[in-house]
Amino acid sequence: MKKYIILGLVALLMSSCAEQITRLAQYPKMYEEKPLTIAVMPPINQTNFVEAKDYFYTTLYAPLCEKGYYVYSPMMTMEMFQAESAYDAELFIEGNLSQFRNVLGADAAMFTIIKSWNRNKIGGSLTAGVEYILRSTKTGETLYRREGLISVDTSINSGNKGLFGALVDLAATAINTAATDKVVAGRKCTLYVLSDMPEGKYGAKFDQDQNMPAGKSYVKATVR
Amino acid sequence: MKKLILSALCVMAMTSCETQKSLYSWYDSEDATYMYTKRATEETLAKAMAQYEKVISKQEGLRKVVPPGVNAEYGYLLCKAGKKEEGLTLLRAEIKAYPESEKFISRIINQLEK
Repeated sequence: MKKYIILGLVALLMSSCAEQITRLAQYPKMYEEKPLTIAVMPPINQTNFVEAKDYFYTTLYAPLCEKGYYVYSPMMTMEMFQAESAYDAELFIEGNLSQFRNVLGADAAMFTIIKSWNRNKIGGSLTAGVEYILRSTKTGETLYRREGLISVDTSINSGNKGLFGALVDLAATAINTAATDKVVAGRKCTLYVLSDMPEGKYGAKFDQDQNMPAGKSYVKATVR
Repeated sequence: MKKLILSALCVMAMTSCETQKSLYSWYDSEDATYMYTKRATEETLAKAMAQYEKVISKQEGLRKVVPPGVNAEYGYLLCKAGKKEEGLTLLRAEIKAYPESEKFISRIINQLEK
């Protein structure tokens, strides 16, 4: 029995470490530049969901703070971006970012491109597809880039069998999916995708997470 | 020996799955600011401000300090609501807690003091 437990644990450890690239190898410039302050840019919205830009913006702030970075107040920066004609991040995503360093003192700017944001009432899911790009305001280099397509499972399974049970679950799933705010998918997407981002100065693992595993540059997952 | 190996493997397996405690306590501030962004009314603003107060006064996260930007954002809203002195005090508190914010926050303070 002990043999099986040991074998199981070894297999678990091996599988969790297999073919994993370290954060240092995946994001070397994050460790070179060690950005502290991040300006979150207004998202670039490529979907038909027009409110996505403003709604998604609110999902970025807390997760980046939790990663140990100084993140400028989203409300104040958004007002400033609107006043200074910087609301369209498309104009800056490949351009010179020195003005954000000069005006805000930001070391880096976080750009996001919302590629999809859908609600599937029948299947019971909310899905957000977003690319995250962190660029240095000093060198213009891309420090971090990762894209995710994250689905939130909103299906209901009551456990009732038979046709009636299936119909009840179908109706409950549709109601639950319709009642769940779309922003939930955006939040889950940000949390999931940024989970492998190296930590900033205020993080508990700042400058100690070089050997921790980084995720794939494109990630697709379903979460509850 | 076998016992030792088994214990070590268990510890390694457990640590690889450990979850990290939050750096900050956010309470319902994320929801409240989202609702305010979605529909800016006096009611949603009051709810957002109440959450900011809670985040500022009650921190139980790992760092036990107010998260970046919260003093500034709440102070800015207070200034806009006519509580200028109280608001400016919070904006200055942001610089004190996070000196890296000085460039931006000083600019805002200067604009508000005009």
